[in-house]
Amino acid sequence: MSFDPGTIAAFVDGELDDLTARRIERAVESDAALAAEIARYRALTAKLSAHFAPVAEEVVPERLRALLVEPGVDTSLAARRHAKRGSFAPVHWGAIAASLVLGLTIGLRPWAPAADIASVNGRLVASGALADALETQLASDQLANAEIRIGLSFRDKQGRACRSFEARDLSGIGCRDGGHWALERTIGGRASQEYRQASSGELLTAAAAMMAGDPFDVAAERAARDSGWRN
Amino acid sequence: MRFEEELVELLPRLRRFARGLARHASDADDLCQAAIERALKSRDQWQQGTKLDSWMYRITRNIWIDERRAAGRRGFHAPIDDAVTQVAGEGAAEVEAGALRGDVDAAMAQLPDEQREVVMLILVEGYAYREAAAILEVPIGTVTSRLARGREALMHVLGEAA
Repeated sequence: MSFDPGTIAAFVDGELDDLTARRIERAVESDAALAAEIARYRALTAKLSAHFAPVAEEVVPERLRALLVEPGVDTSLAARRHAKRGSFAPVHWGAIAASLVLGLTIGLRPWAPAADIASVNGRLVASGALADALETQLASDQLANAEIRIGLSFRDKQGRACRSFEARDLSGIGCRDGGHWALERTIGGRASQEYRQASSGELLTAAAAMMAGDPFDVAAERAARDSGWRN
Repeated sequence: MRFEEELVELLPRLRRFARGLARHASDADDLCQAAIERALKSRDQWQQGTKLDSWMYRITRNIWIDERRAAGRRGFHAPIDDAVTQVAGEGAAEVEAGALRGDVDAAMAQLPDEQREVVMLILVEGYAYREAAAILEVPIGTVTSRLARGREALMHVLGEAA
């Protein structure tokens, strides 16, 4: 084995330059000890990710949320809220009424798919921004305020790449299937009552039941994306 | 997006990070609470356009380290880089037995603080070495050597049991 532990670690962590990474990939083909060492590193990352992932799926305790969403905790925030309430002009009520009507209209037209979902051959698939996020976004490299957040990526028992996601209107699990991201599981989005009531651990439980092996670690997620999520 | 809203979005990840540092769920949430309170107080110090998550992780980590050091001075814990005595206060035998069973929490608790935080940031939170170094305000070389030692210790303890 001709690579030192630091280089192997950097390879597994996705920190190597392309040239060295390719040298390692080539060496792995004929070096069983190196392959085993890389597998050992990856197994640890996967084990740790899987162990801590459920924490991020838990419902955030109210005492923490309340610090940020309840008035009266932070004076500057409370003051701003107060100012806002005072300047609530009729035009705002108009906007609210309009959005209610719009909401009802959407609710009454179930055949009109919400954005980001399409139907292909009778199956629900991701489209638009959701399809883009599932295709390209890495859980390890997404903005804290990303519209769509990717959670776990893994292979299901059919060998498909699957990814859990969370967005304002929809959360669920999409699996790469025949050029689409088939929506295997959906619950409401962050903004919905359903989502807040369902423990968001539900998605994780669903993912765990679908999973063959461990969820992807940082490097495996990147590698799967770079190879186009092929089986 | 408003500052508070961004923080709310960040909470699930922050709780995960805190859980890795503080081990017990209630201690971890206390840590998050302290971090949020400090962030709200010092929000002027956050530069718009820079990553809020890195800033929050740094605050959280600094509060945790301060607490660990204060606890150490009070005699509950040994100095920060002495892993073996450090866990004595948490029940060394219990921790050791857990680690042998392949218990990730117990294995993490055996790590010195400065290795544990690096392991969490890079292997769990998925930060690049450079980003982790910026959060911890140490050179990259320090991050990689702590990561190497932490990783080796974890693989040693968890490897056979995994």
